[in-house]
Amino acid sequence: MLHSIKPKGRTIFLYLLVPVAMFVFTVFVPLMTAFVYSFFEWKGGPQKTFTGLNNYIALFTDKTFWEAFSHNIYLVIVCIVGQIGIAFILVMMVNSKLVKLKGMHRTFGFFPSTISAVCIGLIWNMIYHNQYGIINWFLKTIGRADLCKVWLNETSMVMLLVAIPLIWQFIGYYMVIILSAISSIDTEVFESAEIDGANGVQKAWYITLPLIKNTMLVCTTLCIAGNMKAFDNIFVMTKGGPGTASMVMAMYGYQVSFSQSNMGYGSCISVGIFVLSLLVIGGSQGVIKFFTREKEA
Amino acid sequence: MKNDNGINKIQKTVMGVLMNFILIVFSLSCIFPIVWMIYSSLKEKRAFNADIIGLPKAPTLVNYTRILTNSDYHLAESMFNSVRTTFLSIVLIVLFSFIVGYILARVRFKLNRVLYVMFLMGMLIPIHSLLVPIYVVFRNCGLSNKWFTLLLPYVSFGLPMGIFLVEGYVKGIPVSLEEAAAIDGSSFSNTLWKIILPICKPILVTVAIIQIFSCWNEFSFALVLLKDVSLQTVPLALTQFKGQFASDYPKQMAAMLITMSPIVVLYFVFSKQIIKGMVAGAVKG
Repeated sequence: MLHSIKPKGRTIFLYLLVPVAMFVFTVFVPLMTAFVYSFFEWKGGPQKTFTGLNNYIALFTDKTFWEAFSHNIYLVIVCIVGQIGIAFILVMMVNSKLVKLKGMHRTFGFFPSTISAVCIGLIWNMIYHNQYGIINWFLKTIGRADLCKVWLNETSMVMLLVAIPLIWQFIGYYMVIILSAISSIDTEVFESAEIDGANGVQKAWYITLPLIKNTMLVCTTLCIAGNMKAFDNIFVMTKGGPGTASMVMAMYGYQVSFSQSNMGYGSCISVGIFVLSLLVIGGSQGVIKFFTREKEA
Repeated sequence: MKNDNGINKIQKTVMGVLMNFILIVFSLSCIFPIVWMIYSSLKEKRAFNADIIGLPKAPTLVNYTRILTNSDYHLAESMFNSVRTTFLSIVLIVLFSFIVGYILARVRFKLNRVLYVMFLMGMLIPIHSLLVPIYVVFRNCGLSNKWFTLLLPYVSFGLPMGIFLVEGYVKGIPVSLEEAAAIDGSSFSNTLWKIILPICKPILVTVAIIQIFSCWNEFSFALVLLKDVSLQTVPLALTQFKGQFASDYPKQMAAMLITMSPIVVLYFVFSKQIIKGMVAGAVKG
């Protein structure tokens, strides 16, 4: 059928050469390099010593790495609930006939997701600041100066505090995605449900949610992938501290490789990040598919 | 019965007020930080420290003039670097996505599926696992710390989504169009640039929109691959600022607003198209 679009092999080759070569060089060559160097003891200098699986054995028993991994998982869970959950509730409200200014909510809500993570981190640093921060200003204004804290120094709270900006930044983003999915649902479905006497919550739970299941899956996947690679915010806000209380995998890999210039072990951590991220993303897909299938049965 | 209706009406009004209220609070919270930054950046440090939330009593542009005139801060330089990197990355991403996407959608050759899977994998690879190895490879090849250094990762990471958007789009174009062109004696390249390119314009605009934001905002690879202050992009410059002006918030805010301004203006002028494009990219990609 496509006989008319059969250019010479050479033409195709020339067109594809640059993009493919560039892509392989920046994505696959580093991956291979990381894999090779992960078997070496290498402090960044000219000397490399082959140490077999030593790096991997160290990685398996490295408490900081697994703590960092658990923080990534924490971010994933908090952000799925916070970003997608809140976004869904807000979308239900925006879609109500009683609500005005829909366009404004969409434009303003989406806005934070276009700003760089660095800026968001810096802004929230200011909000959390102990002397000039808005939170402590607010606490003082309502007469509860006793609750003021150097917020980002609180070991037990710091993960939640770095998660809040992430949640806040992307609620609008997921809101817009969910809104566009809902707008493609036939309005007749809602009308007949209304005639049957379904209220807003029932409509949301029994009609809207099942109908936009696929979009919700996409949102969840985006959210998981996004939080497995958390780095910029953490770098700007806490650098993983206090101690390792807000360490995430990418931050730890960066510190080991560049602050301690332990490139061999850093490469090993990179392979670890690669494998774990793929496992979490793939695993979660499997779990989601399993549960949604069971519901239908 | 009548009474019942009355209660229902009251219930509805209360619900309406409540929902409007919640949504307005949410919307305002999304732009409050930038509004706060705009008016706070007009205060002097001392005025800000005395009252962090109030409007400026004696608005001044002194923070802006100081930042922009002092070349030690490299702000103008980093703006230029960011504009150049973003612009060139977008041009290359759009160009390559168009070529590769079209070929993958239409031309049958041995490696077609192999390349398809390869770019698909590129989308699944957690790019932050490349942070350290990319530094090693680039340093060994003498590619790090150059003005074009960031183009390689930015274009490569932007390509997969662009390719899949174009590929999906091209599949929706009837093949008869190209067949007719071929019968009329149009060569492959001629068809590609003169016929297909204009048709693909909407999807290429979408690709460009998505990538403008991610290139302008990208931080981690710039951090690892650039050492020279004169080469740094905007997000890097901002983190330097944070160190230099740890306690001078109005100045930090002024710097952030300057670096955010192109994105903010772009967003509020084209918000409809941008939101649409980003959603299309997220869902289809």
